[in-house]
Amino acid sequence: MMRKLEDQGERIHERIWDLLPWYVNGSLAERESERVEAHLAVCARCQEEEGICRRTAEGVKSAGEVAPSPHPVQFQRMLARIDESEREERARAAWWKRGEPFRSLVEATPGPLRGALVAQAAIVILLIGVLAWRELHVRPATSPAPPAVYTVLSDPAQAPQASVGLRLMFAPQTSEREIRGLLLGIRGQITAGPSPLGVYTVEIPAGSDPMNVILARLRSESQVMFAEPVVDGATRKENR
Amino acid sequence: MPPNDELALLRRVAAKDRKAFEALYHIYYRRLFGYLLKLTRRAELVEEVLNDVMFAVWKGASSFDGRSRPSTWIFGIAYHKALKALARRPEEREEEEGERPEPVDADEPESLAARRELAGVLGRALGALSAEQRAVVELTYYYGMAYQEIAEIVGCPVNTVKTRMFHARRRLRELLPGLGISSYAG
Repeated sequence: MMRKLEDQGERIHERIWDLLPWYVNGSLAERESERVEAHLAVCARCQEEEGICRRTAEGVKSAGEVAPSPHPVQFQRMLARIDESEREERARAAWWKRGEPFRSLVEATPGPLRGALVAQAAIVILLIGVLAWRELHVRPATSPAPPAVYTVLSDPAQAPQASVGLRLMFAPQTSEREIRGLLLGIRGQITAGPSPLGVYTVEIPAGSDPMNVILARLRSESQVMFAEPVVDGATRKENR
Repeated sequence: MPPNDELALLRRVAAKDRKAFEALYHIYYRRLFGYLLKLTRRAELVEEVLNDVMFAVWKGASSFDGRSRPSTWIFGIAYHKALKALARRPEEREEEEGERPEPVDADEPESLAARRELAGVLGRALGALSAEQRAVVELTYYYGMAYQEIAEIVGCPVNTVKTRMFHARRRLRELLPGLGISSYAG
């Protein structure tokens, strides 16, 4: 019986001992705080520990706050990060929207056919991937290197092309006025399009900025989703 | 600022109001800076983690359900971001300048000098605790938080908070006599 009471007393002591830091910082609920006070009145070990907790609290508070105020540039950087994140989100949303017709088609397709449709699309994508990979990696290795040809600048073949072509795709919300502004900026003229995918062919007259400059400018515009040179014999040579 | 005002700001941030976000950023910058420095003891990490925290506040304000105080929610984000940053770059951990006791001015009143000495020595001892234990100690003694609120911030049961505090107190008792203020441990 005596042993049982001692164990019970020790458990209460441990519970109170655990609460002392929060008794000291004044955050305990009233009832808990009263229990701590009642125990403290009779427990020398907890009284000593309460003193230690108070001195620890005093030391921690004396260390003070070492925080500077924010520099205006820091908040500007935060806003730039937010802007960038929102641009990425818009691009992702546009990309997702472009896939909408295909998703609707899949959803409207009866169950058994749906798998076949998805598999077919996967095969087509795989084939396009294989062809693109062969174009980039296999052909240069297997085909003999073209003979070195040296030409002079007066060679008529080296004369600037009359014009170069671009393929451009605009973001869905782009207005006619914005498209006009973009085209005027590069002195481009729409010569074909839009294709079923929404791609325009744009011709840039001779004497314009170099192609890489025009492409960089276009790609930095949020209204332009896609800008690539027309890849045919003449323009490929021009772009190298 | 009263929690209700902060809640109103947070609601406006959830609606992507940049003015409200700027106000919240300024309210929390200093608080988070001090808290993150105490927690990580790595000045070079603080700015980066603080930016991550405020960016998470901007992105996640609409998911704040209002069941806790805004400060509990924001400090919780800061706690988890700080631990992640420490885990990513543990090898750079070293003693900070700020942990050293500052030289005591001879003209200072004796009690103030003693408090500064205690703060310096305690600062070193706190540096020897794990970040998880240190967070509990700082949130309790510096920020005066209840153990239930600390449990919400660090995302664990209240008993775990008490256990971390238990181990922190035991470790501090071991360390402090050896650090020069034997009278401190009683």
